Amino acid sequence: MIGSLAQEVGIPQAVAEADRSRAFEAAVREHQAMVFSVAYHFLQDHAVAEELAQEVFLELYRHWDEIESREHRIHWLRKVASRRCIDQSRRRKLRNHLSLEEAPEPFTWMPATDPLLKRYIEQLLGKLAETPRLVMIMRYQEGLEPAEIADVLDMPVATVKSHLQRSLALLRRKLSFAAREGEA
Amino acid sequence: MTDFEDQLRRALERKDPSADFAARVMARATQPKKPLAWGNWRSWTAVGIAASLCLGAVSLELEHRRKVEQEGQAARTQLIQAMHITSAKLRRIHKRVQGSL
Repeated sequence: MIGSLAQEVGIPQAVAEADRSRAFEAAVREHQAMVFSVAYHFLQDHAVAEELAQEVFLELYRHWDEIESREHRIHWLRKVASRRCIDQSRRRKLRNHLSLEEAPEPFTWMPATDPLLKRYIEQLLGKLAETPRLVMIMRYQEGLEPAEIADVLDMPVATVKSHLQRSLALLRRKLSFAAREGEA
Repeated sequence: MTDFEDQLRRALERKDPSADFAARVMARATQPKKPLAWGNWRSWTAVGIAASLCLGAVSLELEHRRKVEQEGQAARTQLIQAMHITSAKLRRIHKRVQGSL
């Protein structure tokens, strides 16, 4: 509406600004679940994750003219969200005091469809160190290949693969231990 | 993809933020930038503290320089005085030596 009004009175700058706002809003709506989920799975705090996701989009707005395509935008958002997650985690010392090795086992084993299992896996992921946690999020939330993860997180592909293998082994061990305990 | 990896994928499914998320982002993105207002006491407190720190650092440096200069001046005066005394003594000795010859 502002855009059309501005167009009528012939204010090109206002039109451009309105177009930019519209395009930006569409981008926010398209990618909000991705950015919020990266932050939420990493930080495991809904409010902090929303705040962080907002900051990521505000940064996107400031760099809007540098973004060349939708693919570039997605890559940029993943990169900035990851960087901010690590910054936030270090600032707030959100890294849990308990390591994954020390995480308590659940009392009973839950079937795979149980939402509690989902929550338990989320909690176990939350116990991983920052970088492997992000690698796991990029792999299993975003479905990226190791080479793509390496590109987003600025690290060698071999490091990504190593993080994936170690984290998977650790999580698998934790879950199978929980399953054995539940069956016993 | 193993069952375990499927479980991970399900656990890490994307979630939506609050319904008004986009609206809040837009409100923040498009709000006009606020200039440094007189009423913004936090900004002015920060500016005041920064200015005080700068002034403090400058005055400390000036004080240090003044002290070094004063010490230098005092040392110069002492040296000149010592040279006067030495010169007077040397003159006296010279006269005695002249007298004894």
